[in-house]
Amino acid sequence: MKPEEDQRHDKQTVPKGTCQTMCPAHELRARERQKRLHRFEILQGTENERCPRGDPLHAVKEYSRPAAGKDATNPADLRPTPVLLKTVCYLINDVAASPDLHPWTEVYSFVFDRLRAVKQDMIIQRVSGPDCVSILERAVRFLVYASFRLCGEPLGLYDPSINDTHLQENLSWLLDCYAVGTESYPNQEEFQALGLLYNLGSSRAAQHIMELPERLRSGPTIRLALSINRAFRERNPVRLLRLAHKLNFLQYCALHRHLVTCRRDLLLVYSHGYSSRNCCFSLDNLALLLFLDKSLTAQLCRSHGVEVTKDNHVVFSKSAFTEPEQGKTQCKLYHSTVVEKQRDLDVGSIIDGSA
Amino acid sequence: MAHITINQYLQQVYEAIDNHEGLFCAELLSFKHPHVANPRLQLASPEDKCQQVLEPPYDEMVAAHLRCTYAVANHDFVEAYKFQTLVVQSFLRAFQSHKEENWALPVMFAVTLDLRIFANNAEQQLQKKGKGQPGEMLEKAAEQLMSCFRVCASDNRAGIEDSKKWGMMFLSNQLFKIYFKINKLHLCKPLIRAIDSSNLKNDYSSAQQVTYKYYVGRKAMFDSDFKLAEDFLSFSFQHCHRSSQKNKRMILIYLLPVKMLLGHMPGQELLRKYDLMQFADVTKAVSEGNLLLLNEALSKHETFFIRCGIFLILEKLKIITYRNLYKKVYLLLRTHQLPLDAFLVALKMMHVEDVDIDEVQCILANLIYMGHIKGYISHQHQKLVVSKQNPFPPLSSVSIS
Repeated sequence: MKPEEDQRHDKQTVPKGTCQTMCPAHELRARERQKRLHRFEILQGTENERCPRGDPLHAVKEYSRPAAGKDATNPADLRPTPVLLKTVCYLINDVAASPDLHPWTEVYSFVFDRLRAVKQDMIIQRVSGPDCVSILERAVRFLVYASFRLCGEPLGLYDPSINDTHLQENLSWLLDCYAVGTESYPNQEEFQALGLLYNLGSSRAAQHIMELPERLRSGPTIRLALSINRAFRERNPVRLLRLAHKLNFLQYCALHRHLVTCRRDLLLVYSHGYSSRNCCFSLDNLALLLFLDKSLTAQLCRSHGVEVTKDNHVVFSKSAFTEPEQGKTQCKLYHSTVVEKQRDLDVGSIIDGSA
Repeated sequence: MAHITINQYLQQVYEAIDNHEGLFCAELLSFKHPHVANPRLQLASPEDKCQQVLEPPYDEMVAAHLRCTYAVANHDFVEAYKFQTLVVQSFLRAFQSHKEENWALPVMFAVTLDLRIFANNAEQQLQKKGKGQPGEMLEKAAEQLMSCFRVCASDNRAGIEDSKKWGMMFLSNQLFKIYFKINKLHLCKPLIRAIDSSNLKNDYSSAQQVTYKYYVGRKAMFDSDFKLAEDFLSFSFQHCHRSSQKNKRMILIYLLPVKMLLGHMPGQELLRKYDLMQFADVTKAVSEGNLLLLNEALSKHETFFIRCGIFLILEKLKIITYRNLYKKVYLLLRTHQLPLDAFLVALKMMHVEDVDIDEVQCILANLIYMGHIKGYISHQHQKLVVSKQNPFPPLSSVSIS
């Protein structure tokens, strides 16, 4: 921490962690006793013992809710920034990216919880500066990636709104760090763009981008994100989907939750624009515009009340368009186009930022 | 007045409180009043003196005020803010004990206004030293103002004449200023709801209503509720005092884009009168359907528009510009069956990047969906077939969303 900040908080001394491991020794012993170790944390070879032992190299401090009477500021239970960064790297590279740990929903819930605990340690110690940025960047990438990969999983395994809340919190903290930081952050452009794509159509997100320095705003990544946002606001799904195709995998993950709306907009607008008795729009053409294959295009049409004839023509009609029943348009069904973008990427490099 | 002694000053405060002279008391605690420059009052520890003359919590309030004048004299706004917070807190304790009376409202206005100003100054001072989070001080000040607001809003016992509810709009306006500054517009909502449901809402002073509607109008604009924004901002503009040219100009900066979205273009004379020529080319471009000029005008005055927070709203004018451009195509070709190619040519003339016939159709379909064009696209014949009657309905009849 910078000396200036020390001064600012000298009256209400900020706790400084001394714990040098990912999991405080005290917690590890307690969870061992209570048999509350996660299976990713157990020392190999002791799994079948009556009381499996914790592996200090794999155990990570779990999140625990702040509560009255609980002292969360004990330095021995808090990890200093370098340990926190190391913890996050472990969670991403060795857990989230591991090809051996299954299922990924469990990996997610483990990493999500431990990242939350990291964030809590950061808040208590009022961490700031480059390490804080590195941690938040990884957390944001992880949550963005998860929002795509786990889309459509049962609510018990993955809750999109909880993921969203944490993603927004981490993101806005990260953007604040960029705003006050005097250092230059090499990934800033990437994350500013990611934030806009994830919050497409939000006036607040767009206004934030507009207020960035021209130098940053005119970089290619942000410019593309802004064009996509503009297409969204002008309700021009044709342009939007074409531009979306130029995004990299993670950016596409961030954007993907808006594509349901975007494709729906296209069908809605076309149902009005082409509404006539002898309308006859080729399914092939529509599939190209939607960036979907033919069968998915037909499926999407039908779920919106848009008729597809046997000879593969789409009949748009103002009165026939209907909103699909809640939950009926499963976003996940239409993920196919993204998969190819991911082909040569592994989870580690995506979240690590080396992708 | 400027050189009275501390005893004389305290005596005046005592009498003002005793006689319930709200306005005079407010002056004695306001930084708009010259007494704050009186070195005989700028004391580092005036507590004892104050206790001799005044009852608690007034003694604390005045002592904090004097220490605040001392801090301001030393240009230490962080310190000033700290003491002004104390002033507001002790004032509030006194205010709450005033059952069924509201004579102290002017005092509340004075001390809360100064609190906001000092929070602002303190923040700037901290930022210069590279300390503090942006918005931190203002947020704390907002919390203080909110506790005042709650006291006012919950005054249900007093009759209308003596109600503290008369303080709500002033406080809302101060809070709006903060929330707009720190970019937390969602926090405005509960305030608006409280004022909306109060039976006094149309009886506050004209000046307060002008400010109030200015902010609520801007909020509505931000939420894309343009009709509501137009109502509020128009009220604000019409009722703003004619001598406040600067304020009228500020209102116009938001009213103009809203009006334009609803199809009313401002005249050159108005723009010149209020020194808002930045809008001149935008207006011209939209009316002429000149997308190229629109883009140029937006980028030329980008900094101004972004700073005012209206760039994104002005970008929405693009849709109307498309409509006007397409209407021109229609007027030129003088037929009801328009080849789609003609629209593509028009867009290319306007240097729209990477545009093709698919996108032309998408833009047309959207204009039809929004009600800007009456007609349909024939995919087989690659034509736009427009209605024989009124194919481009007037903008004022089309709802914008």
